[in-house]
Amino acid sequence: MSYQIAKTVTNILSGIVVLVVYLFYVSSRYQADLLVMDELKSWAQIMLIFIGIGIAMAIVVQIVFHILFSIGIAVNQSIKNGSCNDQEIEKTIELEMVEDEMGKLIELKSMRVSYIIVGVGFVASLFLLFFDYQAFIALNVLFASFFAGGILDGFTQLYYYLRGV
Amino acid sequence: MGKKFEVTNNIRKLRFFADEMTQQQLAEKAGVSRQTIIAIEGGKYSPSLELAFRIAHAFGVKINDVFDYRMAEK
Repeated sequence: MSYQIAKTVTNILSGIVVLVVYLFYVSSRYQADLLVMDELKSWAQIMLIFIGIGIAMAIVVQIVFHILFSIGIAVNQSIKNGSCNDQEIEKTIELEMVEDEMGKLIELKSMRVSYIIVGVGFVASLFLLFFDYQAFIALNVLFASFFAGGILDGFTQLYYYLRGV
Repeated sequence: MGKKFEVTNNIRKLRFFADEMTQQQLAEKAGVSRQTIIAIEGGKYSPSLELAFRIAHAFGVKINDVFDYRMAEK
């Protein structure tokens, strides 16, 4: 598995985890009657906290991923050569992490998919408000569309890396 | 209906004749990731003109010795 594919899979998994934790948190609070549905301020608070969690998790996951990836390369080299050289490991990591024209093209294409999902989510939330649904539902649809956009961005990248551009 | 053309390449063959050059070595010489070389070699990605020249330069051959533009096989 190449660096790009492994990184994309990691990003998808961290995005899914944050979304699932958010849904679990909201549903558990809803069942415990702790949510004030109409109070947008409390929804905004929850969402801001989860945006923070999402960013922190993305950073931590990337750090852990790069550590594990480096260990993987070191193990691979010691199996191949019988010993592992720090400079060679660094060189291999640098080579694997190169962002080239194909990576940029895939990123552009996947970002377009992400924008479409967020756009659809925004329009859907406007429709919900127009049809007199409660504001918190529209807000949740908008919030979920951002996460779904991020996750689908990852899946699109994965698709292009595996099937070609 | 127009005829369909595709870009084909001889990278695998050229790597073999270049003392079994690895994809990683070629990637290093061309300044791209191994993933990109895998995709180009497998016909899943058509490189830019500049990258095509860089790959040809890595093998020390002309660009049309590496890439070919021919009618797609059915």
